[in-house]
Amino acid sequence: MMKTSPKIQKEVIENCKAGDERAFTEIVLQRQKKVFNIAYRMLGNSEEARDLAQEVFISVFESIKDLKEEIKFDAWLTQITLNHCRNRWKYLKRRQYFSSDSLDDPIETEDGSVPRAIYDPSDNPEILLEKKMIQQLIQRGLLKLKEDQRELLVLRDLQGYSYEEMGETLGLPEGTIKSKLHRARMDLKEVLERSTH
Amino acid sequence: MDCEKVRAWFSSLWEKELSPFEEKTFREHLSSCPECRREYEQFEKTIRWLHSVGEVEVPEGFLPELYKKIEEKKGAIPGEKSRGRWFHFPLSFKLPVQAAAMVAIVFLVLFLTKMMPMEGDRPKEAKQTSSPLSVEKKAEQVLTPKEMEKERRALETSAETPHPKDFEQAKAPVLGEKKLETDAPRVMAGGEKAEAPSPQTPVSTTQAIDSREAGGVKTPSSAPGEIEKGLVAKEKSVVASKPPQEIVLRISDRKKGISQLHELVKQFGGEMVTAEGDRFLASLPTSSFSQFKKELERLSSSIKTDQLNVKKHATGGLRFEQGAKREEGDEKSKGSARLAADTESRTIVHILLVEE
Repeated sequence: MMKTSPKIQKEVIENCKAGDERAFTEIVLQRQKKVFNIAYRMLGNSEEARDLAQEVFISVFESIKDLKEEIKFDAWLTQITLNHCRNRWKYLKRRQYFSSDSLDDPIETEDGSVPRAIYDPSDNPEILLEKKMIQQLIQRGLLKLKEDQRELLVLRDLQGYSYEEMGETLGLPEGTIKSKLHRARMDLKEVLERSTH
Repeated sequence: MDCEKVRAWFSSLWEKELSPFEEKTFREHLSSCPECRREYEQFEKTIRWLHSVGEVEVPEGFLPELYKKIEEKKGAIPGEKSRGRWFHFPLSFKLPVQAAAMVAIVFLVLFLTKMMPMEGDRPKEAKQTSSPLSVEKKAEQVLTPKEMEKERRALETSAETPHPKDFEQAKAPVLGEKKLETDAPRVMAGGEKAEAPSPQTPVSTTQAIDSREAGGVKTPSSAPGEIEKGLVAKEKSVVASKPPQEIVLRISDRKKGISQLHELVKQFGGEMVTAEGDRFLASLPTSSFSQFKKELERLSSSIKTDQLNVKKHATGGLRFEQGAKREEGDEKSKGSARLAADTESRTIVHILLVEE
């Protein structure tokens, strides 16, 4: 699970709003990993995720001047990312992009452009292989869930969002988020059980 | 404690949100229920796997590519930009727009298909009222009662006080019109104002219009219908004139019919002006016209009165309908002009012979 990123300074956001490109670059550098990872887990394809993450930052560049509360920048950025993911998901689904064979496997793609997961160098090859298989299973399992369930799991269990942050981002009460998240975890468990047996 | 409730606590236990009492109850149930224990083990494993998924590195060149895209967007042609945007609009926006467009197209098609037969009918209508004078006909029919009244007045005044000046004034504009219809120099000789343009040579329609201009009459457009309207309107303001009439004589024996017609005309003190095939132009005293008409009705199996092609003339104001005049030609118009000059109250009748 990812550690929560440190908050972007208010001045940086204000400078970016004023049109400072260096401030924008700083924001991109600080948040590109998070945006890209959310996109990657939501779509399961690194190329799509890269393109989508860039689109997200273009949206930020174009509309950051409309952001009223700088303190809510992260929730705002996540909302933009999830909105882009939803639209892209629909777009790709209509084109039957997500057939079982077209899934972008983060481990087994041939072209080498697949993003590398961060592994513990102390892991021995067996553990490494197991980890790869687990990652593959999880990614496939996530893509079989409903979109809103996937969002909850990605934000909470992969990105380490607090319930408060999730509530702010998704506009849902904490209790609703908890119950929905539990349902999503149980469904993923079912999916994984089916796929491993 | 039932299994459903225990399974609903899986996440809470994992998140350490259960109270000590709840946790104790939960664990007691797990130890006594192998099914729930197995379920919880699977759940725990899933969460551990989820948390074991590491972060993925951002692909190289992400930032330069981003700037490139921003630059492209900045320099994009607005038209192209909006064209591409359509594909990214949500369906909730696109569907109503597409539906509205479809409805508009359907209405347009319905409208066009409804209009087409009407368009197709027009030529038929045109054929039915194929006479190029149909418009003029209407105009004259509308004016008929007024003209009748004027004619009556004119007849009265001319009978009571035949003033030469009045006659000339009344005659002049009408003669101008006559020039339009015919190129009769004799008629023009009768009107001082009309003489000016070209009294000796035959006058074309446009020349006639010019002459009317010279006479102080507002120039109408050169279109025949408009000229006719102008004439009618002008006549209204001048002297008496009667609505034109055409008598269709339906006969079974042509020769007999013609001879009977000639006899009738003579009988009523009139004379046959022209006889071209089945078309006859007769001049009759106005007083005996009604009697003549009755006699003619007896001859004919049915008489159709069409207030168009033949006009009654009163107080010397002889007027020919333009269409009829064109067909009749110079000789006829000369004759009728002569009559107009010679007689004070005569009626010109256009008789069309139809053999049945």
